[in-house]
Amino acid sequence: MGTDTRVILICSGKGGVGKTTLTANLGISLARQGLTTAVLDADFGLRNLDLLLGLENRIVYTAQEVLEEECRLDQALVKHKQESNLSLLPAGNPRMLDWLKPDDMKSIVNMLKEQFKYVLIDCPAGVEDGFKNAMAASQEAIVVTNPEVSAVRDADRVIGLLNTNSIKPVQLVLNRVRPKMMASQEMLSIDDVTDILALPLLGLVLEDEQVIVSTNKGEPLTLNSINSPAAKCYLNIAKRLQGEDIPLIDPIEESSGFGAKFRRLMQTKIF
Amino acid sequence: MDLKSQKLVITIDHDRYLNWKLFLTNEFKKITSKNVEIDCRDINLSCKEILSLIEISNEFDCKIIGFFSTSTSTIISAQSLGYPSQLILKKSSSNSNKINNVCPDLSTTRFHQGTVRSGEYVESSGDLLILGDVNPGAIVKAEGNVIIWGRLLGIAHAGSKGNSKAKIAALQLRPVQLRIANKVARGPKGENQLGLAEQATIDSEKIIISPLELT
Repeated sequence: MGTDTRVILICSGKGGVGKTTLTANLGISLARQGLTTAVLDADFGLRNLDLLLGLENRIVYTAQEVLEEECRLDQALVKHKQESNLSLLPAGNPRMLDWLKPDDMKSIVNMLKEQFKYVLIDCPAGVEDGFKNAMAASQEAIVVTNPEVSAVRDADRVIGLLNTNSIKPVQLVLNRVRPKMMASQEMLSIDDVTDILALPLLGLVLEDEQVIVSTNKGEPLTLNSINSPAAKCYLNIAKRLQGEDIPLIDPIEESSGFGAKFRRLMQTKIF
Repeated sequence: MDLKSQKLVITIDHDRYLNWKLFLTNEFKKITSKNVEIDCRDINLSCKEILSLIEISNEFDCKIIGFFSTSTSTIISAQSLGYPSQLILKKSSSNSNKINNVCPDLSTTRFHQGTVRSGEYVESSGDLLILGDVNPGAIVKAEGNVIIWGRLLGIAHAGSKGNSKAKIAALQLRPVQLRIANKVARGPKGENQLGLAEQATIDSEKIIISPLELT
């Protein structure tokens, strides 16, 4: 391993769009496919990737202790209960916010590269130090956004920063898509978003109530509820990340309620 | 030494050579390197002329990897053909002063290639030419004209030092805000006609938008 390890930054600019959820689910999906994966929680001020993965009570050490040589890397890595290919490394302790420098992040990631095929870095919201630290260690990036004007605006800002730091490729995940609202044009369409951001779309994730349930349980959707709509989307994203050609779902097709079908019928008659 | 990876700069000195094509052919005969950079000095080359220059280099199995020039039009031509090129600002010799008097803005034109994204800020002390979109949340500012080969969706400020003759032109003009000299206007609402480049200018103390005129 080592040289062909992919270090992927998962970022968004705006908070609450689903970075951590995507990191957790992508981590599980990649591990499922037999790829050794490490998820690094760079959002150590408000860390909650451990919660989503249900690993909170197993954390003893963090990357901070590894760098200070108080423990070995494998002591700090928390292996997932069900997916042994997946490990979590929390970057630091919420009590010590300013110890981490971009170089520290690089050395942590270099250590992880020795052991893993994929390193996913869960980036904090914002474009300040936390983001810059996380970006310093990354090679490529996935930008998560919602079909909302504010989220798209922040994503645009982040993409600009990624470009100036020559991180490539940068791919887009459009999260929390509501097919019905998109069909009725109450929500920004996929084209509206990709038009502004001018990035290749790695995938869509449908709005799914199960995400909330799974977050509270600490079991990512891709682990136990593979048949939920959002879980399918996450699995597809993981496959596309490895170069598999899987067509994007059409959110308008997905909104298969009676209203949407009727509306489509009307449109076909008009044109 | 590996000749193939060697970089060679050919300087076209047209004071000595009236026909630069002939000069270049002679020069290519002499060299052994495969990768060549061309310094065009202050010669204005069109796209067509650059293409013929590339043809000459192909005859000698040479690859042109970039252009230097003090002429903005040469740089535009080279950029539009996809060659990396660099504008060299002239030193204040008597010769360049003469040129600057004829066209004061030319040497300070700034190019920006690629999308200007939210939060980014591009400024020029002369004209500003952007090859790409200006997204919402971005600001572009120039003391001269702002010309955008793409969509303007953010804020553009032309004539920032008070030149009210300055204009803003874009392939699609849908800004958040337009500023020319000390005038400010909100962007137009609604969709505009596709395929119609527009310009914003000051007409009787107001910023107006009209189809782009080539003047």
